[in-house]
Amino acid sequence: MKAVGKNIIRPDAYEKIIGKAKYPDDITFEEMLYASVKRSSIPYGKVLSVNIDEIKQLPGVVAVIDYTMIPGAITHGVIFKDTPILVKDMVKRVGDAIVLVVATDKASLHEAMKQVKVEYEEYKGVFSVEDALKEDAPILGDGSNVLYDIKIKTGDIENGFEEAEFVAENWYNTQMTEHAFLQPEAAVAKYDNDVLTVYVATQYPHYDREEVARCMNIDEDKVVIINTAIGGAFGGREDINPQCHAAIAAYITKKPVKILYSREESTISHCKRHPMKMYYKTGVRKDGKLCALKVRIYGDTGAYASWGMNVLRKAAVHASGPYVIPNVDIEALAVYTNNPYCGAMRGFGATQVPLAYESQMDILAEKLNIHPLIFRFMNAFEVGSITATGQKLTSSVGMKKCIEKIADIDKIDL
Amino acid sequence: MKRRGVGYASMFYGTGYGNGFPDESRATALIKQEGCIIINVGVSEVGSGGHSVMWQIATEALGVKKELIKIQHNDTSKMHDSGTAAASRQTYNTGNAVLDACRKLRENMIKAMENQSISLIEDSEVIIQIYQQMILKGIETKIEGYFKATSSEVNLETGQGDPYWPYTFGLQKAVVEVDDETGKVDVVDIVAIFDAGKIVNPALAEGQSIGGTAMGIGYAIMEEIQLDNGVIKNRNFSDYIIPTSKDVPNIKTYFIEDLEDTGPYGAKGLGEPVMLPTAPAIINAIYDAIGVRIYDFPATCERVLQAIKNKESKK
Repeated sequence: MKAVGKNIIRPDAYEKIIGKAKYPDDITFEEMLYASVKRSSIPYGKVLSVNIDEIKQLPGVVAVIDYTMIPGAITHGVIFKDTPILVKDMVKRVGDAIVLVVATDKASLHEAMKQVKVEYEEYKGVFSVEDALKEDAPILGDGSNVLYDIKIKTGDIENGFEEAEFVAENWYNTQMTEHAFLQPEAAVAKYDNDVLTVYVATQYPHYDREEVARCMNIDEDKVVIINTAIGGAFGGREDINPQCHAAIAAYITKKPVKILYSREESTISHCKRHPMKMYYKTGVRKDGKLCALKVRIYGDTGAYASWGMNVLRKAAVHASGPYVIPNVDIEALAVYTNNPYCGAMRGFGATQVPLAYESQMDILAEKLNIHPLIFRFMNAFEVGSITATGQKLTSSVGMKKCIEKIADIDKIDL
Repeated sequence: MKRRGVGYASMFYGTGYGNGFPDESRATALIKQEGCIIINVGVSEVGSGGHSVMWQIATEALGVKKELIKIQHNDTSKMHDSGTAAASRQTYNTGNAVLDACRKLRENMIKAMENQSISLIEDSEVIIQIYQQMILKGIETKIEGYFKATSSEVNLETGQGDPYWPYTFGLQKAVVEVDDETGKVDVVDIVAIFDAGKIVNPALAEGQSIGGTAMGIGYAIMEEIQLDNGVIKNRNFSDYIIPTSKDVPNIKTYFIEDLEDTGPYGAKGLGEPVMLPTAPAIINAIYDAIGVRIYDFPATCERVLQAIKNKESKK
């Protein structure tokens, strides 16, 4: 092969190395305005009033936009349209966007933003999965605090554990984390000849086009998304963040508008990695073969759905690890709270579960007095293996080859 | 005292949206009268090298010098929907769409040259000639490529089904040093081994492995959003600490290329799986070093020290 499998210098390398690559903040237009959103400081409550009339009078302020001025849909979301573009009344997390302020320059915008006052009626929120699942918890989702509940069952779990010589039973807790991409969110929008163009660094330009068209109530062919150079993403640029705000501000002011987040605003506003509480009970036979696995996973999905159901499904499907286990009982739940919303982040649910299943593997290897690599090799998937979901793996199953390679390097006889 | 330990961790990772969700990619290949070939494809270059991967697949499939092929990937009015740069799906899914478009365009190019063998095309003049023949003979110069991944919806009560395809596999070995007086964990060596099928660009793939490992180190021992009643307390890089070059050790990466029949040239996904084994390998290495197992992550100095104290008080 001439190109595939070769260390060809990537075509985008040169511009990035010499600093010529254009990120959203590198894009400017004449008469461009600056916009920013006031975000909720409380996690749960109702917005009673905002001093919009007062802010409109401040020097340099061109427009103050609330939800009533959005031409189309006032919510967005990758699966469910549950996230406010601008809050109508209810605030469900710190960082919900309340009003959009547009000004002639950054300094005026900065001054005006400091003057925005929001009055709330604050409610007692829920900040843990345990509290959210209590009977008297406020309902944050659509009739329930459980966004998603998936079970994976195969074989006979009771008999499976009866076969076990050793059982490891533990709880594991993973933390919430941040994508920490280097380029905080930014967007520039302009509205010319009935076409709205948004310059943004995004993981999915066609989805952004759909959401911008929805909130503007215009056809998708009247929206153009220009995907600029992207300064890292890791799942943090899958949901809408500045796109709709920039578009609405450009449409209302009929001027190009730029939105540029600080690191703080970026951290507060975009999704996070799901923290998960994971109960694992793993059984192994005397001969070293895994025989039973019971798992319960509770993912704190925060205030909005985002990809929560898909993330917990991915966690459930991958909860067994790359091992053949004939008797399995897995359940995974995505639970709403008033914490920051959780969504996509590198690994997407398949990142949390290895902390549990690989700890269990080492604990059992020690009980069996077998080298951890040998124990893994004995149980690893190969061509023809059946996964916990009953899927037969038919090609390209390199797990055992990976173990063989490290065993060769470390001089371990498998 | 600093104590050294070794840990291993394996993982698997299902590529794509999965669960029967329409997982589609599209690409358009055009031969131009200026003597070049343009591929319009919705691959977001998030840093992972997707742009390069599409370019390399197009180059291979078209048999045209790479400098004569341009990938356009940033304007929704000029390209069709190829889904997200996510779920480690671009090389597999969108790469297959590019491959489909380019193979069909090459067939048309050969047809225009009346089945004369065209080996590697290195000259734009040759492309111009082929283009002219295609126009003369009414052969299509613009080809649409398409690919849809196969997966099936799982039953919510039993979970049975084929939720993802294909799966990437991998394993890492971590060597750590744990200071049993301060609880500080230093990762001193990582060996990373992955089966992501055919590796399209080994240097970029190794870069992914190194970046993923760095992120995994952060996940294992450093990073944590601190919440107080829903308020994020650490909002800046001054208090949300991620690994720097000083925290990332020597990383040796190997690829086992177990080719995937349905992948472009046998390739599978790599971007996400690379970070999965790092954190559990480190946690297992900490246990090997000091005989203490961490169940609440990340394994910060405070947690490691507390775990050591708990172990000693049990004695």
